[in-house]
Amino acid sequence: MSPAAYAGEHSKPYIPASDATVLEHLPSTRDPRVRRFDALRQQTATRPHDLRRSVALANAYLDYGRDTGDARYLGRAQAVIAPWLGKRPPPVDALLVQATILQSRHQFAESRRVLQAILARDRDNTQAWLTLSAVALVQGDMDEAQRDCARLITNSDALVAAGCIAARSTVTGHAKDALRILDLLLPQAPNEAPAIKAWVHGLMADAAKALGQHARAEREFKAALQLTPGDNFLVADYADFLLDRKRPREALELTRPFAQSDTSFLRQVLAEAALGLPEAKADTATMASRFRDLEQRGDSRLYAREEARFALELQHDPNRALQLAQADWSYQRAPEDARILLQAALAAGQPAAARGVIDFLGRTYLEDPDIRALAAKAAAQLERGPSGQAAAQ
Amino acid sequence: MTRRALGCLLVLLLLLPFAASAHKESDAYLTLSTDPARPTVLHGQFDIALRDLAFVLDIDANQDAAVTWGEVKASRAAIERYALDGIVIKGDGLTCETHPTGQKIDEHNDGAYDVILFDAVCDKEIPSRLTLVYTLFEDVDPYHRGIVTIHAGDRVAGAVLGPKTPTATLDLREPDRWNQFKSFVVDGVWHIWTGPDHLLFILSLLLPAVLYRSASTAARASPQLQVLALASQTGWIPVPKLSRAMIELIKVVSGFTVSHSVTLTLSVLGYINLPSRLVESGIALSIIVAAANNLWPIVTRRAWVVAFAFGFIHGLGFASALAGLSLPPVAMATSLGGFSLGVELGQESIVLPFLPMAFLLRKTRFYQVGVVRWGSWAIIAIATLWLVQRAFDISIPYTALLTPA
Repeated sequence: MSPAAYAGEHSKPYIPASDATVLEHLPSTRDPRVRRFDALRQQTATRPHDLRRSVALANAYLDYGRDTGDARYLGRAQAVIAPWLGKRPPPVDALLVQATILQSRHQFAESRRVLQAILARDRDNTQAWLTLSAVALVQGDMDEAQRDCARLITNSDALVAAGCIAARSTVTGHAKDALRILDLLLPQAPNEAPAIKAWVHGLMADAAKALGQHARAEREFKAALQLTPGDNFLVADYADFLLDRKRPREALELTRPFAQSDTSFLRQVLAEAALGLPEAKADTATMASRFRDLEQRGDSRLYAREEARFALELQHDPNRALQLAQADWSYQRAPEDARILLQAALAAGQPAAARGVIDFLGRTYLEDPDIRALAAKAAAQLERGPSGQAAAQ
Repeated sequence: MTRRALGCLLVLLLLLPFAASAHKESDAYLTLSTDPARPTVLHGQFDIALRDLAFVLDIDANQDAAVTWGEVKASRAAIERYALDGIVIKGDGLTCETHPTGQKIDEHNDGAYDVILFDAVCDKEIPSRLTLVYTLFEDVDPYHRGIVTIHAGDRVAGAVLGPKTPTATLDLREPDRWNQFKSFVVDGVWHIWTGPDHLLFILSLLLPAVLYRSASTAARASPQLQVLALASQTGWIPVPKLSRAMIELIKVVSGFTVSHSVTLTLSVLGYINLPSRLVESGIALSIIVAAANNLWPIVTRRAWVVAFAFGFIHGLGFASALAGLSLPPVAMATSLGGFSLGVELGQESIVLPFLPMAFLLRKTRFYQVGVVRWGSWAIIAIATLWLVQRAFDISIPYTALLTPA
């Protein structure tokens, strides 16, 4: 079903012409991932008191939802562990699933609380430290991220600990070190699961991007996608990379098969607009109505980064983009969040709104040349502004 | 940590560096519209994603992962049952019944939705305040949201419901106190007309309102011979003037009204809550007592005292018609006042025509023996039947017609 077919607005209810009309495609049981959670679902239905199976089912849902970009599986996973969360105390494994779901729904503060509760009971829980570090990093809490990674060095394998540290190094001015250590450790782990290798390649792509090594970054994206084809987040990141490099046609080809996912679809529409394709208009309307749906269910703040970018680049509404980017920055501080806020502030002619980002980047030494250029531009405008005297220091 | 456990860990870990949800979670869209032509009916449209329905019902009959219109039609009854079980619509606290009326398909941004068309039929006129309890998919997806829109004339109200906030109270229109009041008056009248137990109680007390007990001094007021002759057989002497009977009637009805209003109010406001079996049995017993008093008089001069005393238990019975009613204070007062007035009017509409007829017939053997004596016996018989039924919760064959609704 092409998203363009319904042009952004809900149609009127109708009665299909024929009984044979196919209305919807469901996850196919030919897909081994679907068969896996179907089987686990049957097993947990007959044995509801088996924690291991419940957690396995919840994780199977989360994996599938992550692969396909279908967020419905977050709720389904939550429902599976809900009875366990009602126990006093809830089992650690169920809490870990809960923390992951919260984190995926951008409920970072809640996720951190759950993780800290786990660690209060189980100091050596590697996964909790890892998750906590990742959440801290997304929120721009670099010191906490470092402390959490340090707990991994003695408790997990070298590649995992290095990945944790590299993720932080990339956004704190040490992308070169990050790339070097991962380069060193990855070949030593040939039997690592493909998902882990893909994660490491993704980290290396980020580091290379931060260093302005575009060819290297592209190699890493491709390597990661080869290991986990169609991965929703990798597709979005690689598409962004291609759009930045002014290669919209490739971005379009990359994202087109995944139009169901909002993140992929946004990149698709951006590519269509960059190419001046006629379908850009209808697809922009569809994207707008998807954001309206999110807003209607009360989840708009969870997707503020994406929506800010949509408002800025496709709706050409810098003021609204700035509002959204500021809301996003209040709870997410990854490089992409810094970037959209800087872009929106500049476009709206309000460089003062970017002051917090400029300060943050000054403290953390993010190397990404594109973002640094934006920050420098905003800073220069601030100096030339009415408060130029004060900015001279 | 073992290698295997680590593998499991890292599958989860991979969610982390790219934190961003890609697509909205599950929503369903519920629209309710008032109907200007049918004030007790709401028309509903409930859009639920086929993907969500497929997760809980076997709508893909041939399991080929492609849901066809034929398959959706074949699952219509199951879908409607599941969907309508997931919502409760209440008007001023009273549940409205839902009836499916049609099935269609709608395309939303994230795929095809089954459209369940239905009517919600409420007991009373759609009130100013509508309550919606939404529990669809609560057990399989706590992040599911019900997006509710209500159209009432030119007003639109909305809410987003889910497990944490399953209930919405929506103001449909400016409360029309007068209409509300009238509708409750009508309810009160019907409650009396369709519930013979309250009437039989009042009638039992009023049958002798046109008579005196012969032992009283009133005998001297009616010195006619044939009257005295009948009095020696029945123990009754007719009252001389209609005004006397009228005063007696007013006292009985007023005594009854005062006490049943008290318990009706306390019960609807939730201050009293007696099991209905006890209340209903008590009402049956009060009828037996009132009728028996006509045969073996204990209270002769103050029937209103009996009316007053047993009015308390009848009030609790009236309250059952308003069970669950929940309104803001002013509307509550309006409704309760209207209902009480309706009960009153219902009673008056029976007793007012009764009194002149009874007065005309008061001197006859037909009235004193046929109506008062045998009528009381008949009432005792019926009320005893009710008492047995209600107290022991058994149904007696061939008595359905005598059983109050």
